[in-house]
Amino acid sequence: MIRFENVSKTYKNGTVALRDVSLNIEKGEFVFLVGSSGSGKTTCLRLLLREETPDSGRILELGRDIGSMRKSRVPYLRRNIGCVFQDFRLLPTKTVFENVAFAQEVIGRPRSTVDAQVPQILELVGLADKMNNLPSELSGGEQQRVAVARAFVNRPLVLLADEPTGNLDPTNSEQIMNLLDRINKTGTTVVMATHDKGLVDRMRRRVIELDGGELVRDQLRGVYGIDDPTGGHS
Amino acid sequence: MRVFIRYAIRETFTNLWRNRLMTLAAVLTVAVSLSLVGAALMFKQSASQASVVWEQQTKVTVWMSPKVDAAELSAVQSQLSTSPYIHGTCTYQTQQQSYQQALLLLPEAESSVLRPQDMPSAYLCVPSVPTDASILISTFSGQPGVYKVTAPTNAIHHMQQTIRVMQFVAITLALTLLVSAIVLILNTIRLAIFSRRREVSVMKLVGATNWFIRMPYISEGFMQGLLGSGVAVALLTALHTWYPLSGNEFHLSTSDLVGTSIVVVLVGVLIGSLGSAFAIRRFLDV
Ligand SMILES: Nc1ncnc2c1ncn2[C@@H]1O[C@H](COP(=O)(O)OP(=O)(O)OP(=O)(O)O)[C@@H](O)[C@H]1O
Ligand SMILES: [Mg+2]
Repeated sequence: MIRFENVSKTYKNGTVALRDVSLNIEKGEFVFLVGSSGSGKTTCLRLLLREETPDSGRILELGRDIGSMRKSRVPYLRRNIGCVFQDFRLLPTKTVFENVAFAQEVIGRPRSTVDAQVPQILELVGLADKMNNLPSELSGGEQQRVAVARAFVNRPLVLLADEPTGNLDPTNSEQIMNLLDRINKTGTTVVMATHDKGLVDRMRRRVIELDGGELVRDQLRGVYGIDDPTGGHS
Repeated sequence: MRVFIRYAIRETFTNLWRNRLMTLAAVLTVAVSLSLVGAALMFKQSASQASVVWEQQTKVTVWMSPKVDAAELSAVQSQLSTSPYIHGTCTYQTQQQSYQQALLLLPEAESSVLRPQDMPSAYLCVPSVPTDASILISTFSGQPGVYKVTAPTNAIHHMQQTIRVMQFVAITLALTLLVSAIVLILNTIRLAIFSRRREVSVMKLVGATNWFIRMPYISEGFMQGLLGSGVAVALLTALHTWYPLSGNEFHLSTSDLVGTSIVVVLVGVLIGSLGSAFAIRRFLDV
Protein backbone atom coordinates (compact mmCIF):
# COMPACT_ATOMS: atom_id res chain seq x y z
CA MET A 1 0.00 0.00 0.00
CA ILE A 2 2.77 2.44 1.00
CA ARG A 3 6.40 1.80 0.24
CA PHE A 4 9.46 4.01 0.70
CA GLU A 5 12.55 2.82 -1.17
CA ASN A 6 15.71 4.62 -0.05
CA VAL A 7 13.93 7.94 0.16
CA SER A 8 15.95 11.08 0.87
CA LYS A 9 14.62 14.59 1.09
CA THR A 10 16.58 17.79 1.42
CA TYR A 11 14.66 21.06 1.55
CA LYS A 12 15.68 23.97 -0.64
CA ASN A 13 17.41 25.72 2.24
CA GLY A 14 19.71 22.71 2.63
CA THR A 15 18.02 21.07 5.62
CA VAL A 16 18.22 17.30 5.29
CA ALA A 17 14.81 16.08 6.46
CA LEU A 18 14.97 12.41 5.45
CA ARG A 19 17.99 10.22 4.82
CA ASP A 20 17.70 6.96 2.94
CA VAL A 21 14.43 5.83 4.50
CA SER A 22 12.94 2.50 3.44
CA LEU A 23 9.72 1.12 4.82
CA ASN A 24 6.68 -0.83 3.81
CA ILE A 25 3.14 -0.44 5.11
CA GLU A 26 0.45 -2.94 4.19
CA LYS A 27 -3.17 -2.26 3.52
CA GLY A 28 -5.20 -1.92 6.70
CA GLU A 29 -2.23 -1.34 8.99
CA PHE A 30 -2.14 1.23 11.78
CA VAL A 31 1.26 2.89 12.12
CA PHE A 32 2.55 5.39 14.67
CA LEU A 33 5.30 7.66 13.41
CA VAL A 34 7.36 8.89 16.34
CA GLY A 35 10.58 10.78 16.88
CA SER A 36 11.76 14.01 18.39
CA SER A 37 10.89 17.37 16.97
CA GLY A 38 12.47 17.91 13.57
CA SER A 39 13.09 14.23 13.00
CA GLY A 40 11.13 14.21 9.72
CA LYS A 41 7.66 12.90 10.60
CA THR A 42 5.74 15.72 8.92
CA THR A 43 8.06 15.48 5.93
CA CYS A 44 7.09 11.81 5.53
CA LEU A 45 3.42 12.72 5.52
CA ARG A 46 3.95 15.61 3.09
CA LEU A 47 5.70 13.22 0.74
CA LEU A 48 2.76 10.82 0.98
CA LEU A 49 0.40 13.69 0.14
CA ARG A 50 2.74 14.66 -2.64
CA GLU A 51 3.09 18.16 -1.31
CA GLU A 52 6.78 17.42 -1.71
CA THR A 53 8.70 15.05 -3.93
CA PRO A 54 11.73 12.99 -2.84
CA ASP A 55 15.20 13.95 -4.11
CA SER A 56 16.18 10.31 -4.46
CA GLY A 57 14.50 6.99 -3.93
CA ARG A 58 10.97 5.96 -4.81
CA ILE A 59 7.66 6.27 -3.05
CA LEU A 60 4.96 3.83 -4.05
CA GLU A 61 1.47 4.56 -2.81
CA LEU A 62 -1.76 2.87 -3.87
CA GLY A 63 0.23 1.05 -6.51
CA ARG A 64 1.69 4.15 -8.13
CA ASP A 65 5.10 5.74 -8.11
CA ILE A 66 4.03 9.12 -6.81
CA GLY A 67 7.42 10.74 -7.25
CA SER A 68 7.13 10.59 -11.03
CA MET A 69 3.38 11.20 -11.10
CA ARG A 70 2.13 13.96 -13.42
CA LYS A 71 0.98 17.04 -11.56
CA SER A 72 -2.49 16.85 -13.07
CA ARG A 73 -2.97 13.37 -11.54
CA VAL A 74 -2.18 14.51 -8.00
CA PRO A 75 -5.77 15.57 -7.14
CA TYR A 76 -7.00 12.08 -7.99
CA LEU A 77 -4.32 10.57 -5.75
CA ARG A 78 -5.40 12.85 -2.91
CA ARG A 79 -9.01 11.75 -3.23
CA ASN A 80 -7.84 8.44 -1.84
CA ILE A 81 -5.94 10.00 1.04
CA GLY A 82 -7.60 11.68 4.00
CA CYS A 83 -5.66 13.92 6.32
CA VAL A 84 -6.01 15.42 9.76
CA PHE A 85 -3.77 18.01 11.38
CA GLN A 86 -2.97 19.30 14.80
CA ASP A 87 -4.64 22.65 14.04
CA PHE A 88 -7.89 21.13 12.61
CA ARG A 89 -7.93 23.43 9.52
CA LEU A 90 -11.68 23.87 9.47
CA LEU A 91 -13.27 26.72 7.52
CA PRO A 92 -14.46 29.18 10.15
CA THR A 93 -17.33 30.62 8.09
CA LYS A 94 -18.88 27.26 7.29
CA THR A 95 -21.01 25.15 9.60
CA VAL A 96 -20.01 21.66 10.67
CA PHE A 97 -22.21 20.22 7.93
CA GLU A 98 -20.82 22.58 5.29
CA ASN A 99 -17.24 21.89 6.31
CA VAL A 100 -17.68 18.18 5.75
CA ALA A 101 -19.85 18.66 2.66
CA PHE A 102 -17.17 20.93 1.17
CA ALA A 103 -14.79 17.98 0.84
CA GLN A 104 -17.36 16.23 -1.32
CA GLU A 105 -18.61 19.20 -3.31
CA VAL A 106 -15.18 20.28 -4.51
CA ILE A 107 -14.47 16.90 -5.99
CA GLY A 108 -17.74 17.03 -7.87
CA ARG A 109 -19.95 14.73 -5.80
CA PRO A 110 -23.64 15.34 -6.58
CA ARG A 111 -25.85 17.02 -4.02
CA SER A 112 -27.80 13.85 -3.33
CA THR A 113 -24.65 11.96 -2.34
CA VAL A 114 -23.54 14.81 -0.10
CA ASP A 115 -26.91 15.06 1.61
CA ALA A 116 -26.94 11.34 2.26
CA GLN A 117 -23.35 10.81 3.38
CA VAL A 118 -22.53 13.86 5.47
CA PRO A 119 -25.16 13.24 8.21
CA GLN A 120 -24.05 9.62 8.27
CA ILE A 121 -20.41 10.48 8.88
CA LEU A 122 -21.35 13.13 11.46
CA GLU A 123 -23.33 10.44 13.25
CA LEU A 124 -20.19 8.28 13.25
CA VAL A 125 -18.10 10.99 14.93
CA GLY A 126 -20.94 11.78 17.35
CA LEU A 127 -21.68 15.29 16.14
CA ALA A 128 -25.04 14.83 14.44
CA ASP A 129 -26.61 17.27 16.89
CA LYS A 130 -24.02 20.00 16.18
CA MET A 131 -24.41 19.86 12.41
CA ASN A 132 -25.43 23.51 12.09
CA ASN A 133 -22.91 24.97 14.52
CA LEU A 134 -19.89 26.94 13.45
CA PRO A 135 -16.45 25.57 14.37
CA SER A 136 -15.99 28.47 16.81
CA GLU A 137 -18.95 27.13 18.77
CA LEU A 138 -17.27 23.75 19.32
CA SER A 139 -14.64 22.50 21.74
CA GLY A 140 -11.21 21.54 20.41
CA GLY A 141 -12.04 17.86 20.59
CA GLU A 142 -15.27 18.38 18.69
CA GLN A 143 -13.49 20.44 16.04
CA GLN A 144 -10.98 17.68 15.55
CA ARG A 145 -13.83 15.19 15.16
CA VAL A 146 -15.26 17.38 12.42
CA ALA A 147 -11.84 17.35 10.77
CA VAL A 148 -11.74 13.56 11.00
CA ALA A 149 -15.22 13.39 9.50
CA ARG A 150 -14.07 15.60 6.63
CA ALA A 151 -11.00 13.45 6.07
CA PHE A 152 -13.03 10.26 6.06
CA VAL A 153 -16.19 11.32 4.24
CA ASN A 154 -14.80 10.37 0.83
CA ARG A 155 -13.82 6.92 2.17
CA PRO A 156 -10.08 7.23 1.51
CA LEU A 157 -7.88 4.16 1.42
CA VAL A 158 -5.23 5.93 3.49
CA LEU A 159 -5.68 8.31 6.42
CA LEU A 160 -2.72 10.48 7.42
CA ALA A 161 -2.81 12.21 10.80
CA ASP A 162 -0.14 14.69 11.87
CA GLU A 163 -0.25 15.03 15.65
CA PRO A 164 -4.06 14.97 15.67
CA THR A 165 -4.15 14.99 19.47
CA GLY A 166 -1.43 17.61 19.86
CA ASN A 167 -3.86 20.33 20.96
CA LEU A 168 -6.23 18.16 22.96
CA ASP A 169 -6.62 17.11 26.58
CA PRO A 170 -6.33 13.38 27.46
CA THR A 171 -10.09 12.72 27.28
CA ASN A 172 -10.44 14.28 23.87
CA SER A 173 -7.24 12.63 22.68
CA GLU A 174 -8.70 9.32 23.71
CA GLN A 175 -11.87 10.00 21.73
CA ILE A 176 -9.93 10.91 18.59
CA MET A 177 -7.75 7.86 19.01
CA ASN A 178 -10.83 5.63 19.28
CA LEU A 179 -12.24 7.25 16.18
CA LEU A 180 -9.06 6.61 14.19
CA ASP A 181 -9.03 3.06 15.50
CA ARG A 182 -12.60 2.52 14.28
CA ILE A 183 -11.72 3.99 10.91
CA ASN A 184 -8.73 1.66 10.73
CA LYS A 185 -11.04 -1.28 11.47
CA THR A 186 -13.00 -0.48 8.31
CA GLY A 187 -9.85 -1.41 6.39
CA THR A 188 -8.38 2.07 6.01
CA THR A 189 -4.62 2.30 6.42
CA VAL A 190 -3.80 4.88 9.10
CA VAL A 191 -0.46 6.62 9.56
CA MET A 192 -0.31 8.87 12.60
CA ALA A 193 2.61 11.07 13.59
CA THR A 194 2.51 11.76 17.31
CA HIS A 195 4.38 12.79 20.44
CA ASP A 196 1.71 11.28 22.70
CA LYS A 197 3.59 8.64 24.67
CA GLY A 198 0.52 7.52 26.62
CA LEU A 199 -1.49 6.77 23.52
CA VAL A 200 1.29 4.91 21.72
CA ASP A 201 2.10 2.79 24.73
CA ARG A 202 -1.53 1.92 25.32
CA MET A 203 -2.44 1.10 21.72
CA ARG A 204 0.42 -1.31 21.10
CA ARG A 205 0.49 -0.82 17.35
CA ARG A 206 3.33 -0.72 14.89
CA VAL A 207 5.76 2.09 15.71
CA ILE A 208 8.22 3.64 13.25
CA GLU A 209 10.76 5.94 14.82
CA LEU A 210 12.75 8.56 12.99
CA ASP A 211 15.77 10.37 14.32
CA GLY A 212 17.43 13.16 12.40
CA GLY A 213 15.75 11.98 9.22
CA GLU A 214 16.85 8.37 9.57
CA LEU A 215 14.65 5.40 10.34
CA VAL A 216 15.98 4.07 13.62
CA ARG A 217 13.23 1.69 14.72
CA ASP A 218 10.38 -0.20 13.10
CA GLN A 219 8.55 -2.26 15.67
CA LEU A 220 5.34 -4.24 15.51
CA ARG A 221 3.18 -3.77 18.62
CA GLY A 222 5.69 -1.18 19.79
CA VAL A 223 5.84 1.53 22.42
CA TYR A 224 6.89 5.18 22.35
CA GLY A 225 10.25 4.97 24.13
CA ILE A 226 13.33 3.52 22.42
CA ASP A 227 14.55 1.72 25.52
CA ASP A 228 11.60 -0.66 25.54
CA PRO A 229 12.54 -3.86 23.65
CA THR A 230 9.01 -5.31 23.42
CA GLY A 231 7.89 -6.45 19.95
CA GLY A 232 9.91 -7.50 16.92
CA HIS A 233 11.26 -5.92 13.82
CA SER A 234 9.28 -6.29 10.64
CA MET B 1 -19.99 18.52 -14.44
CA ARG B 2 -23.25 19.99 -13.18
CA VAL B 3 -21.79 20.22 -9.71
CA PHE B 4 -18.75 21.97 -11.15
CA ILE B 5 -20.79 24.56 -13.04
CA ARG B 6 -23.10 25.22 -10.13
CA TYR B 7 -20.15 25.57 -7.77
CA ALA B 8 -18.25 27.88 -10.12
CA ILE B 9 -21.24 30.16 -10.67
CA ARG B 10 -22.09 30.33 -6.98
CA GLU B 11 -18.51 31.08 -5.96
CA THR B 12 -18.08 33.65 -8.72
CA PHE B 13 -21.03 35.70 -7.55
CA THR B 14 -20.14 35.33 -3.88
CA ASN B 15 -16.66 36.63 -4.63
CA LEU B 16 -17.98 39.50 -6.72
CA TRP B 17 -20.41 40.47 -3.98
CA ARG B 18 -17.88 40.14 -1.19
CA ASN B 19 -15.44 42.50 -2.89
CA ARG B 20 -18.19 44.65 -4.33
CA LEU B 21 -16.39 47.97 -3.93
CA MET B 22 -13.30 46.74 -5.71
CA THR B 23 -15.52 45.04 -8.27
CA LEU B 24 -17.35 48.31 -8.85
CA ALA B 25 -14.07 50.15 -9.34
CA ALA B 26 -12.82 47.52 -11.78
CA VAL B 27 -16.09 47.41 -13.72
CA LEU B 28 -16.27 51.18 -14.00
CA THR B 29 -12.68 51.45 -15.17
CA VAL B 30 -13.34 48.81 -17.78
CA ALA B 31 -16.50 50.68 -18.78
CA VAL B 32 -14.78 54.05 -19.10
CA SER B 33 -11.81 52.71 -21.03
CA LEU B 34 -13.97 50.65 -23.35
CA SER B 35 -16.31 53.59 -23.93
CA LEU B 36 -13.30 55.57 -25.03
CA VAL B 37 -12.12 52.76 -27.28
CA GLY B 38 -15.61 52.44 -28.72
CA ALA B 39 -16.06 56.16 -29.17
CA ALA B 40 -12.68 56.38 -30.89
CA LEU B 41 -13.65 53.50 -33.17
CA MET B 42 -17.00 55.05 -34.03
CA PHE B 43 -15.42 58.44 -34.61
CA LYS B 44 -12.86 56.80 -36.86
CA GLN B 45 -15.59 55.16 -38.91
CA SER B 46 -17.51 58.39 -39.01
CA ALA B 47 -14.46 60.40 -40.01
CA SER B 48 -13.26 58.07 -42.71
CA GLN B 49 -16.77 58.03 -44.12
CA ALA B 50 -16.75 61.82 -44.10
CA SER B 51 -13.42 62.02 -45.85
CA VAL B 52 -14.65 59.72 -48.59
CA VAL B 53 -17.58 62.07 -49.05
CA TRP B 54 -15.28 65.09 -49.08
CA GLU B 55 -12.94 63.53 -51.57
CA GLN B 56 -15.80 62.57 -53.83
CA GLN B 57 -16.98 66.11 -53.67
CA THR B 58 -13.56 67.46 -54.53
CA LYS B 59 -13.92 69.85 -57.39
CA VAL B 60 -11.07 71.21 -59.39
CA THR B 61 -11.73 74.78 -60.40
CA VAL B 62 -9.89 76.09 -63.46
CA TRP B 63 -10.09 79.87 -63.13
CA MET B 64 -9.74 81.72 -66.44
CA SER B 65 -8.08 85.06 -66.54
CA PRO B 66 -10.65 87.90 -66.73
CA LYS B 67 -9.03 89.06 -69.99
CA VAL B 68 -8.98 85.64 -71.63
CA ASP B 69 -9.67 85.61 -75.36
CA ALA B 70 -12.10 83.29 -77.11
CA ALA B 71 -9.37 81.12 -78.71
CA GLU B 72 -7.68 80.42 -75.42
CA LEU B 73 -11.03 79.68 -73.82
CA SER B 74 -12.02 77.16 -76.44
CA ALA B 75 -8.57 75.51 -76.35
CA VAL B 76 -8.88 74.93 -72.62
CA GLN B 77 -12.44 73.77 -72.99
CA SER B 78 -11.61 71.18 -75.63
CA GLN B 79 -8.68 69.93 -73.59
CA LEU B 80 -10.93 69.59 -70.54
CA SER B 81 -13.58 67.72 -72.44
CA THR B 82 -11.09 65.12 -73.68
CA SER B 83 -9.07 64.70 -70.45
CA PRO B 84 -9.30 61.12 -69.08
CA TYR B 85 -8.88 62.50 -65.56
CA ILE B 86 -12.23 64.22 -65.56
CA HIS B 87 -15.49 62.65 -64.61
CA GLY B 88 -18.34 63.76 -66.90
CA THR B 89 -18.24 67.28 -68.26
CA CYS B 90 -17.16 70.46 -66.57
CA THR B 91 -19.60 73.17 -65.64
CA TYR B 92 -18.84 76.62 -66.92
CA GLN B 93 -19.20 79.47 -64.44
CA THR B 94 -19.53 82.85 -66.12
CA GLN B 95 -17.94 86.06 -64.87
CA GLN B 96 -21.38 87.18 -63.79
CA GLN B 97 -21.86 84.02 -61.71
CA SER B 98 -18.42 84.40 -60.12
CA TYR B 99 -19.37 87.94 -59.24
CA GLN B 100 -22.62 86.78 -57.60
CA GLN B 101 -20.67 84.25 -55.57
CA ALA B 102 -18.14 86.82 -54.47
CA LEU B 103 -20.96 89.06 -53.32
CA LEU B 104 -22.14 86.26 -51.07
CA LEU B 105 -18.70 85.42 -49.73
CA LEU B 106 -17.07 88.80 -49.26
CA PRO B 107 -18.01 91.55 -46.83
CA GLU B 108 -19.90 94.44 -48.35
CA ALA B 109 -16.97 96.85 -48.07
CA GLU B 110 -14.85 94.71 -50.32
CA SER B 111 -17.48 93.40 -52.71
CA SER B 112 -18.71 96.88 -53.44
CA VAL B 113 -15.52 97.72 -55.32
CA LEU B 114 -15.74 94.61 -57.47
CA ARG B 115 -17.16 94.65 -60.96
CA PRO B 116 -18.29 91.59 -62.93
CA GLN B 117 -15.68 92.23 -65.60
CA ASP B 118 -12.89 91.95 -62.97
CA MET B 119 -14.02 88.48 -62.01
CA PRO B 120 -12.57 85.33 -63.55
CA SER B 121 -14.86 82.88 -65.28
CA ALA B 122 -14.22 79.25 -64.36
CA TYR B 123 -14.64 75.58 -65.25
CA LEU B 124 -15.80 73.41 -62.34
CA CYS B 125 -14.63 69.84 -62.89
CA VAL B 126 -14.94 66.59 -60.93
CA PRO B 127 -11.82 64.42 -61.16
CA SER B 128 -12.34 60.76 -62.15
CA VAL B 129 -10.79 59.72 -58.81
CA PRO B 130 -9.98 62.17 -56.04
CA THR B 131 -6.22 61.76 -56.49
CA ASP B 132 -6.46 62.95 -60.09
CA ALA B 133 -6.98 66.46 -58.74
CA SER B 134 -3.22 67.06 -58.51
CA ILE B 135 -2.69 65.91 -62.13
CA LEU B 136 -5.35 68.34 -63.31
CA ILE B 137 -3.75 71.13 -61.32
CA SER B 138 -0.31 70.55 -62.86
CA THR B 139 -1.68 70.09 -66.38
CA PHE B 140 -3.74 73.26 -66.53
CA SER B 141 -1.71 75.64 -64.38
CA GLY B 142 0.18 78.10 -66.59
CA GLN B 143 -1.69 77.34 -69.79
CA PRO B 144 -2.47 80.44 -71.83
CA GLY B 145 -5.56 82.19 -70.49
CA VAL B 146 -5.63 80.17 -67.26
CA TYR B 147 -5.40 82.37 -64.18
CA LYS B 148 -5.17 79.64 -61.51
CA VAL B 149 -6.23 76.05 -60.83
CA THR B 150 -7.48 75.27 -57.34
CA ALA B 151 -8.80 72.27 -55.45
CA PRO B 152 -9.65 71.96 -51.75
CA THR B 153 -7.16 69.07 -51.33
CA ASN B 154 -5.11 70.95 -48.74
CA ALA B 155 -8.13 71.70 -46.62
CA ILE B 156 -9.18 68.04 -46.68
CA HIS B 157 -5.67 66.98 -45.87
CA HIS B 158 -5.56 69.33 -42.93
CA MET B 159 -8.89 68.08 -41.65
CA GLN B 160 -7.77 64.47 -41.90
CA GLN B 161 -4.62 65.27 -39.98
CA THR B 162 -6.61 66.87 -37.18
CA ILE B 163 -8.84 63.83 -37.00
CA ARG B 164 -5.83 61.54 -36.84
CA VAL B 165 -4.35 63.47 -33.93
CA MET B 166 -7.65 63.31 -32.07
CA GLN B 167 -7.85 59.58 -32.64
CA PHE B 168 -4.31 59.10 -31.45
CA VAL B 169 -5.05 60.96 -28.23
CA ALA B 170 -8.24 58.97 -27.65
CA ILE B 171 -6.55 55.62 -28.34
CA THR B 172 -3.59 56.43 -26.07
CA LEU B 173 -5.94 57.43 -23.27
CA ALA B 174 -8.01 54.32 -23.82
CA LEU B 175 -4.95 52.05 -23.77
CA THR B 176 -3.71 53.60 -20.53
CA LEU B 177 -7.12 53.04 -19.00
CA LEU B 178 -7.25 49.49 -20.32
CA VAL B 179 -3.99 48.73 -18.57
CA SER B 180 -5.32 50.15 -15.31
CA ALA B 181 -8.49 48.14 -15.80
CA ILE B 182 -6.41 44.95 -16.08
CA VAL B 183 -4.47 45.88 -12.94
CA LEU B 184 -7.69 46.60 -11.05
CA ILE B 185 -9.23 43.30 -12.10
CA LEU B 186 -6.02 41.52 -11.14
CA ASN B 187 -6.16 43.17 -7.75
CA THR B 188 -9.80 42.27 -7.05
CA ILE B 189 -9.07 38.68 -7.92
CA ARG B 190 -5.98 38.70 -5.77
CA LEU B 191 -8.14 39.89 -2.87
CA ALA B 192 -10.67 37.15 -3.60
CA ILE B 193 -7.92 34.55 -3.64
CA PHE B 194 -6.43 35.84 -0.38
CA SER B 195 -9.76 35.87 1.40
CA ARG B 196 -10.23 32.28 0.27
CA ARG B 197 -6.81 30.86 0.89
CA ARG B 198 -8.09 28.50 3.62
CA GLU B 199 -10.73 27.15 1.26
CA VAL B 200 -8.13 26.76 -1.46
CA SER B 201 -5.77 24.82 0.78
CA VAL B 202 -8.58 22.51 1.90
CA MET B 203 -9.60 22.02 -1.72
CA LYS B 204 -6.08 21.02 -2.65
CA LEU B 205 -5.95 18.66 0.29
CA VAL B 206 -9.12 16.78 -0.56
CA GLY B 207 -8.24 16.50 -4.23
CA ALA B 208 -10.14 19.18 -6.08
CA THR B 209 -8.74 19.50 -9.59
CA ASN B 210 -6.81 22.60 -10.58
CA TRP B 211 -9.55 23.70 -12.92
CA PHE B 212 -12.13 23.34 -10.21
CA ILE B 213 -10.04 25.59 -7.97
CA ARG B 214 -9.27 28.15 -10.67
CA MET B 215 -12.64 28.40 -12.33
CA PRO B 216 -14.39 30.80 -9.92
CA TYR B 217 -11.51 33.27 -10.26
CA ILE B 218 -11.34 32.98 -14.02
CA SER B 219 -15.03 33.60 -14.36
CA GLU B 220 -14.82 36.43 -11.84
CA GLY B 221 -12.45 38.31 -14.14
CA PHE B 222 -14.53 37.33 -17.13
CA MET B 223 -17.66 38.71 -15.45
CA GLN B 224 -15.96 41.97 -14.54
CA GLY B 225 -14.86 42.41 -18.13
CA LEU B 226 -18.32 41.52 -19.38
CA LEU B 227 -20.12 43.84 -16.96
CA GLY B 228 -17.74 46.67 -17.82
CA SER B 229 -18.22 46.20 -21.53
CA GLY B 230 -21.99 46.02 -21.00
CA VAL B 231 -21.93 49.45 -19.41
CA ALA B 232 -19.68 50.68 -22.23
CA VAL B 233 -22.07 49.37 -24.88
CA ALA B 234 -24.94 51.19 -23.15
CA LEU B 235 -22.92 54.42 -23.16
CA LEU B 236 -22.00 53.96 -26.82
CA THR B 237 -25.63 53.33 -27.74
CA ALA B 238 -26.51 56.57 -26.00
CA LEU B 239 -23.72 58.34 -27.87
CA HIS B 240 -24.98 56.88 -31.12
CA THR B 241 -28.55 57.95 -30.42
CA TRP B 242 -27.60 61.49 -29.51
CA TYR B 243 -24.64 61.72 -31.86
CA PRO B 244 -23.97 65.41 -32.34
CA LEU B 245 -22.82 64.99 -35.95
CA SER B 246 -25.70 62.94 -37.30
CA GLY B 247 -27.51 64.28 -40.35
CA ASN B 248 -24.33 65.07 -42.30
CA GLU B 249 -21.44 63.19 -43.84
CA PHE B 250 -20.35 62.05 -40.34
CA HIS B 251 -23.58 60.09 -39.94
CA LEU B 252 -23.19 56.63 -38.34
CA SER B 253 -25.33 53.66 -39.25
CA THR B 254 -26.69 51.11 -36.77
CA SER B 255 -24.34 48.49 -38.17
CA ASP B 256 -21.41 50.71 -37.19
CA LEU B 257 -22.73 50.64 -33.63
CA VAL B 258 -23.23 46.88 -33.66
CA GLY B 259 -19.74 46.27 -35.02
CA THR B 260 -18.19 48.58 -32.44
CA SER B 261 -20.18 46.93 -29.64
CA ILE B 262 -18.94 43.50 -30.64
CA VAL B 263 -15.35 44.74 -30.57
CA VAL B 264 -15.95 46.39 -27.18
CA VAL B 265 -17.41 43.22 -25.64
CA LEU B 266 -14.58 41.09 -27.01
CA VAL B 267 -11.94 43.46 -25.66
CA GLY B 268 -13.76 43.60 -22.30
CA VAL B 269 -13.87 39.84 -21.95
CA LEU B 270 -10.26 39.64 -23.07
CA ILE B 271 -8.94 42.08 -20.47
CA GLY B 272 -11.06 40.41 -17.79
CA SER B 273 -9.57 37.04 -18.64
CA LEU B 274 -6.08 38.52 -18.83
CA GLY B 275 -6.48 40.06 -15.39
CA SER B 276 -7.60 36.80 -13.85
CA ALA B 277 -4.97 34.79 -15.68
CA PHE B 278 -2.23 37.00 -14.23
CA ALA B 279 -3.75 36.84 -10.75
CA ILE B 280 -4.07 33.07 -10.84
CA ARG B 281 -0.56 32.54 -12.10
CA ARG B 282 0.83 34.87 -9.51
CA PHE B 283 -1.26 34.20 -6.42
CA LEU B 284 -3.01 30.85 -6.76
CA ASP B 285 -0.45 28.14 -6.31
CA VAL B 286 -2.07 25.21 -8.06
N1 LIG C 1 9.35 23.69 4.29
C1 LIG C 1 10.55 23.46 4.87
N2 LIG C 1 11.64 24.11 4.41
C2 LIG C 1 12.84 23.88 4.98
N3 LIG C 1 13.05 23.05 5.99
C3 LIG C 1 12.02 22.38 6.49
C4 LIG C 1 10.71 22.54 5.96
N4 LIG C 1 9.86 21.76 6.64
C5 LIG C 1 10.61 21.14 7.56
N5 LIG C 1 11.90 21.50 7.47
C6 LIG C 1 13.02 20.97 8.29
O1 LIG C 1 13.10 19.58 8.04
C7 LIG C 1 13.35 18.87 9.24
C8 LIG C 1 12.23 17.87 9.48
O2 LIG C 1 11.03 18.57 9.74
P1 LIG C 1 9.63 17.88 10.01
O3 LIG C 1 8.61 18.95 9.98
O4 LIG C 1 9.47 16.76 9.08
O5 LIG C 1 9.83 17.36 11.47
P2 LIG C 1 8.78 16.70 12.45
O6 LIG C 1 9.32 15.37 12.80
O7 LIG C 1 7.43 16.76 11.88
O8 LIG C 1 8.86 17.65 13.71
P3 LIG C 1 7.71 18.03 14.76
O9 LIG C 1 7.60 16.86 15.67
O10 LIG C 1 8.26 19.21 15.48
O11 LIG C 1 6.49 18.31 13.99
C9 LIG C 1 13.45 19.91 10.33
O12 LIG C 1 14.81 20.18 10.54
C10 LIG C 1 12.77 21.13 9.76
O13 LIG C 1 13.38 22.29 10.25
MG1 LIG D 1 5.64 17.75 12.38
